Amino acid sequence: MKMTFRAALLGGLIILLGAAVAPTVMARKDLIYDPGPLKATDSLLKVRVGEQAPDFTLKSLSGKTVSLSDYRGKNTVVVSFIPAAWTPACSDQWPGYNIAQDVFRKHNAVILGISTDNIPTLHAWTSQMGGLWFPVLSDFWPHGEAAAKYGVLRSDGMADRTIIIVDKKGKIRYIALHNINKRPPLEEIIHELEKIR
Amino acid sequence: MRIPAIMAGMGMAALVLFSAASTLEARDDHLRALNALTLYAPEAAGDREYLGLDDEEEKISLGQIDAEILIVEIFSMYCPHCQKHAPDANKLFRVLDSRKDIRNKVKMIGIGVGNSRYEVGIFKDKYSSPFPMFDDRDSVALSTISGIYTPHYFALRIREGSIHEIVYSKSGAFPDAEAFLDMIVKESGIK
Repeated sequence: MKMTFRAALLGGLIILLGAAVAPTVMARKDLIYDPGPLKATDSLLKVRVGEQAPDFTLKSLSGKTVSLSDYRGKNTVVVSFIPAAWTPACSDQWPGYNIAQDVFRKHNAVILGISTDNIPTLHAWTSQMGGLWFPVLSDFWPHGEAAAKYGVLRSDGMADRTIIIVDKKGKIRYIALHNINKRPPLEEIIHELEKIR
Repeated sequence: MRIPAIMAGMGMAALVLFSAASTLEARDDHLRALNALTLYAPEAAGDREYLGLDDEEEKISLGQIDAEILIVEIFSMYCPHCQKHAPDANKLFRVLDSRKDIRNKVKMIGIGVGNSRYEVGIFKDKYSSPFPMFDDRDSVALSTISGIYTPHYFALRIREGSIHEIVYSKSGAFPDAEAFLDMIVKESGIK
């Protein structure tokens, strides 16, 4: 009888092991936290197209500090504020920009990715994406200071999903405050970059 | 010892049956969704010829594709796992294309779920993907094919202009293109 019980137990273990192994390729996706639909936007812009972009200095994942003004006279800057690491739309947005590096380079543009998450969180999150070619900056402390300068800090402490394009002279050329629940289409950014020559 | 053994066995059997029933239900839902799906067809002449499409057809259903078995990779240009998997997907198509015995019967496409035409173009250019890729500019695939993760592979049996059966359906990347194709060929019974 012992053998029968062991056989049943072994069979069960095999089934459970099979169930555990099968979805391993999806395991990272399962780490994503879905907060459900949120209020589409929850901030009031403080900047306008044509104005000089407020400067900011933030810590990057590499350990260096990065300022918007570092790119003055050198590159067009696509400032991408995202609400939160480990959430669905955000986890889809930057990996797409990651394979479009050549397109951004063609337009002499760099991306500065900004989140109000802290550095360890952003490190873990972007590592599971396989890394990103552009600087990822933490606006964690003083919390949301850069986002607040642009008027994109939500009342819950996250940033609204915002794209701001700043030209080489430091002037704002494009602002799009997107629905927090949706990923902005890539071509919208590229179309705006094409206008800046 | 006899009772615990029987109970353990029954528990395992129930688990297996529940799992099988859920899978069948999902397949029925997916079969309906895939048959209802109409997508903008790729514009490249080579792709259209491969798929057996007329020049005029802007949007098509998958059942219109000239194949007995259609392998469909559901991907997204924004999905890092799909990006990492792209070389293996390309290899699958090349292996399939090298098999003269089945290449006219088994065909392969990609659907960039929730992706615009531009976004699918970025992915196709980046990875030099040799097989036809459909965009999902109206997000119909995104909203109707539920419960899957990208990349996801379907193998669909096509008969008389519609999808007759889902032969294979599984989320996740495959480790070996040749073994994967052999498995699809075996499962479908195609010769």
